[in-house]
Amino acid sequence: MVFGMPTPDEIVSGAARELRSRPQFPPGFGEDADDDAPLPTEPMTINMGPSHPAMHGTVRIILTVDGETVKEADVQVGYLHRCFEKEAEYATYTQVFPYTDRLNYVSPLLNNVGFAMAAEKLLGISDKIPERAQYIRVLIGEISRITDHLTCVGASGMEVGAFTPFLWMIKCREWLWELLEELTGARLTHSYVRIGGVAADLTDNFAQRLRDVLAKCREAMVDVEKLIVKNRIFRDRMDGVAVISAEEAVAYGWTGPCLRSTGVPYDVRKDHPYLVYDRFDFDVPVGSTGDNYDRFAVRMEEMRQSMRILEQALDQIPAGPFKLDDPRISLPPKSQVYNTIEGMIGHFKQIVDGVKIPPGEAYSYTEGGNGELGFYLVSDGTGRPYRCHVRAPCFILMQSVPKLIIGAGVADIIPTFGMINMIGGECDR
Amino acid sequence: MSQDLRNAPTTKPAIAEALRDIAAPAAGATAATPVAPAPSDMVTIKVDGREVQVKKGTNVLEACLQNGVDVSYFCYHPGLSSPAVCRQCLVEVVGQPKLVPSCYTPVADKMEVVTNSARVVQARQQMLEFTLVNHPVDCPICDKAGECTLQKLYDDWDHKGSRTEFDKVHKPKMADIGPHIVLDAERCILCSRCIRVCDEVAGVHQLGMAWRGDREQLTVAPGQRLDNPYSLNTVDVCPVGALTSKDFRFTLRAWELYTVPSVCPGCATGCNVEIHHGQGEVWRLVPRENLSVNKYWMCDDGRFTYKEIRSRRHSGARIGSGRGLPAQAVSVDKATSFAAERLSGTVQKGGTIGLVFNAQAENEALFGLSQVAAKLEAAGATVRRYVVGRKSHPERADKILRHADMNPNTRGAQVFAGAGAGDADALRSDLGKGALKALWMVGEDLPFDDAVLVELAPSLDALETFVVQAVHDSPLVRRAHVQLPACTWAEVDGSFTNAKSMVQRIRCSVSPAGDARSHMELVSMIAKKTRWVEGEAWQKSPRQAFLQLTAAVQPQDGSAGPFASADWGRELPPVQLRFANSRG
Repeated sequence: MVFGMPTPDEIVSGAARELRSRPQFPPGFGEDADDDAPLPTEPMTINMGPSHPAMHGTVRIILTVDGETVKEADVQVGYLHRCFEKEAEYATYTQVFPYTDRLNYVSPLLNNVGFAMAAEKLLGISDKIPERAQYIRVLIGEISRITDHLTCVGASGMEVGAFTPFLWMIKCREWLWELLEELTGARLTHSYVRIGGVAADLTDNFAQRLRDVLAKCREAMVDVEKLIVKNRIFRDRMDGVAVISAEEAVAYGWTGPCLRSTGVPYDVRKDHPYLVYDRFDFDVPVGSTGDNYDRFAVRMEEMRQSMRILEQALDQIPAGPFKLDDPRISLPPKSQVYNTIEGMIGHFKQIVDGVKIPPGEAYSYTEGGNGELGFYLVSDGTGRPYRCHVRAPCFILMQSVPKLIIGAGVADIIPTFGMINMIGGECDR
Repeated sequence: MSQDLRNAPTTKPAIAEALRDIAAPAAGATAATPVAPAPSDMVTIKVDGREVQVKKGTNVLEACLQNGVDVSYFCYHPGLSSPAVCRQCLVEVVGQPKLVPSCYTPVADKMEVVTNSARVVQARQQMLEFTLVNHPVDCPICDKAGECTLQKLYDDWDHKGSRTEFDKVHKPKMADIGPHIVLDAERCILCSRCIRVCDEVAGVHQLGMAWRGDREQLTVAPGQRLDNPYSLNTVDVCPVGALTSKDFRFTLRAWELYTVPSVCPGCATGCNVEIHHGQGEVWRLVPRENLSVNKYWMCDDGRFTYKEIRSRRHSGARIGSGRGLPAQAVSVDKATSFAAERLSGTVQKGGTIGLVFNAQAENEALFGLSQVAAKLEAAGATVRRYVVGRKSHPERADKILRHADMNPNTRGAQVFAGAGAGDADALRSDLGKGALKALWMVGEDLPFDDAVLVELAPSLDALETFVVQAVHDSPLVRRAHVQLPACTWAEVDGSFTNAKSMVQRIRCSVSPAGDARSHMELVSMIAKKTRWVEGEAWQKSPRQAFLQLTAAVQPQDGSAGPFASADWGRELPPVQLRFANSRG
C-alpha cells in the first residue's frame, strides 16, 4: 500500500469525493535556510519555443522575467494548425475519421468516437447503435484515456528530473497500443470507428490480453508512485504550484481532469452519460487545491477508475453485430460488393459520395482525455460536412496558462504546461 | 431517417446551377423576353398536397420537376419524346386506380398527384429491382460509374438487396457499333433514349431493339453502323454505361474531372459545351443546355476540337529573318519588343500595314486590334484590314447544328474589322501585288490549300515586317519574322459571336501551353510597345475589354445592336464532377 493513495476499499466507495489528504513531511524536512535571498534584476524578455524539447507540441511563450520570476507571459498557439475543420468540409464523413486521429494523438480513439457520435446524432440513429459496438467504443475509449494519462503523468515526472517513471509509463502505453494495433491495424492512427459502429469486431483473445496488460499497468503505476509521490524534489516542484480556484477554472471553461483537480466533480460520462456509461460503477476523483500535484493525482486515480470500467465492460459486453445494419450508413459486406450489383452500387456511392446526412446541425460532447471534447457538425444534406467545429478541451485550458505561470518561476512553466497537457494536434487543429 | 434523405435536395440541379454563368443563358440577340402565359393557358394541380400552377400541355413529370419535387426517371429526356418505357416515373393520380407514368400523362386542371406515398415508393423500388436483376457488376470498370443515373436512383430510393438466385442473362459486351461508340448490351436498361436521339435529333434510324423480354437488347441493324454525325449524343443521354465513347473511355474517372462552361470552337453555330478537364488536360467536351442555340446536343466533330489544345502547339516565341529559315527562341517580352520595333519602323516609313482579323480569335483580341487600326488610321497610316479564318466546308452543313463556316467568331471578326475589310482572297491578291509592306496576323489560320500557300510564299518573304500570333505551328508561321505563341480558346477568358450574332462566353479551363499568351494580351503588348495604344481599359483584363467592346459596338440610335444581350457573367469556382452527380 502506497502512502497517500486510496486503498482498494476506498476506490469502490461512493461517487465523487475528494482525494485523500496528502502525505505530510515533518517541519523543516529537506529545506535550505538561505533559499529565498532576494536578488533584484532588470526584467528580460525571452522566447520559449515554438521549437523547444520541453514545449510539448509546438507552442511559443514570450516571457518577461525578473530573475527567475515570470512577470508577463504571452502564450501563442497555432504552430500545428492543419486546417482540420476546413479539410473536413472537403472530405466525406467517413474520410474525416483519419483527420480526427490527428487531433489528440495520444488518445485518437476518443476523437473517433466523438466525431462518430456527432454524425449519428444528425442521422438520428444514436439509439440504434448495436450494444456490442457501444461496449467496444467504451473499451477502446477507456484504453485511450489510460494511454493519454500515462503519457501526461509519465512526462510530468520527467519534467522535474525523474526520467524513470516516464520510461515505465511509456512502456505501459506501448503494451496498450500493441493491443490496439492488434485490434485496429495501426499503433497510433487507428481510424477504427465508423458511423453506425466500428470497423471490425474485437479480436478473439482481446479480453484476456487486456486483463493481462491492465494487471501489468497496475504494477507499474504502484512502482511509479513509490518513486515520486513521496519524493522531496517532485513534491516541492508540484505542490502549490500554478494554483487555480474552482470558480476561476469554471469561469475559464475548464473541463476534464484539470477542472476536477480544483474540486469540481464534472465528468461528462457521469453527468451526461453517453454510450453505456450509465451501466458502470466508477468514481469521479476530485482534488482539493487545484495545483499541479492535484492534476497529477487526479490523473493517476482516473486511470484506476478507467481500469474498473474496462473490467466491467469486459464482463458485460454482449455478442452481436458491431455495426448498424443499414445499407445507407454501413458498407455492405465484401461478398455482396463483389457479387451483386446492389452491393456494388451501395458500396460505390458510399465511397464516392459519402454517407448522406439530412440537413441540420448537431453537437456531440464526450469526455476526452483532456476534458469535454465536442464536435459540432452542420450538414446540408450531402455526404460532406457543411461545417465542422471541434471544441478542443486543451485549447480552452491553454487560455489560462498565462494566469497560472505569472508569478511562478521559469522552471515551473514546464511542469505546469505538462499538467495542462496541451496536445498540439488538438489545440491547434 | 430514410424519409429525410429522400426529401433532401439532389445535387443534379446543383451542378447545372453552379455552371449557370449568366442570368438568362437562353436569351439570344433575337430572343425577346418570354411573354408570361395568359391565365387561361395555366392549370392548377396539386403535387403532394401543394397547389402549383403549370402550363397546359405540360406532362406531370415536368410539372413535378419544375416545382422541385424529385421523381425518378430513366427514359424521359426534356429534348426527346416520351415513350414511357422505363416505368420508373410512376406516380399516383387521385381517382385513377393504377399508377400512371408521369412522363406520359398530361396535366389536367384540379389533378391531384402523389409522388411520395408508400405505394409509389414501393413501385419505384420494385422497378429498380427489376432493372438491376440482369445488370452486370461492372461499376469498377464502367466509364459511367460516378455519373450514372442507375447508381444515383438506387442510392436515392432503393438500397435493398437482390432477391433472385438465378444467373444474370448475358448479352454482347464491347460491341463495336460505330466509329466513335462501343456498346455493352448487358449494361443497357432499355430506356430507348439513344434510339430517339438518332431518330429525332440526327434524323436517321440507326438503332433499334431486338428480341423480347429479358433477352431484349439494343442493336444496330445487320450491316449498319451508328455513324451519323450526332452519334455521341447517344453516349450523353445513356443513363448507364451501355454506350461509351471510344475517345474518352478508360482515360479518367468521372469524379476526377472538373467542369467549366464554354462554347465549342468547331463552327459558327457556337454550341454551348462543358469542358471536362483534370490533371491540367482537357479530356472531353459535352453539350450544355441552351435552348436557343444547341438545345441539349452537339455534333461529333465539335467534341474532338479539344484535341487541338495539345497537338502541334506553337508554344514559344521566336524571332528571325523569316522566309522559313531557322529562328531564335526568345522570351515573349523580347519578341513583342522586336515586333513593335519592326512594325512601327515600317509604319513610320509610310508602308502599308495589313491587319488580319482571324475568326478563330476571341472578340476581345479582335476589338483590341480594331482599336490599334483606328489609332493608326487617325495618325495617317495606310491600314488594310482582312477577315480570314479556316476553310468553309459547305458539304457538312445541315439544318440541325453543323454549320459550313468552321470558325467560331466570324461575326465578331466582321464587326470589329469594319465595313471596309477585305476577305482572304483580297489578302491573297494584295500580297501577290506586293501592296503590303507589313503584315500582322492575329491567328495563323488561312482558308487556303497547300498549293496556294506555296504560291504565296515569295510574296510573304518579300514583306518588310511579318508578325504572326500563332496557336499551332505550321510552315506559314515559320515564314514570319516574329512568331508569337498564342492561347487556344480553352486557355482564355473571352467571348465568341456566333452565326446568329449571339455573344457567348468562353472560359479558361487549363493553363496555357508553354509561354503562350492570349491573343488579346499579345495585341496589347505590341500596342503598348509601339506606343500606339496605351493605358486603355481593354488592355487591363478580358473583362474590361468585354465591357468596353460591348459599349463600343452599341448603335447610337438606341436600337438593339449585335451585342445587345452580351453578358460577361459571374466568376465560377471550379466545379468538381463528384458527389451525387448524374449525367444522362
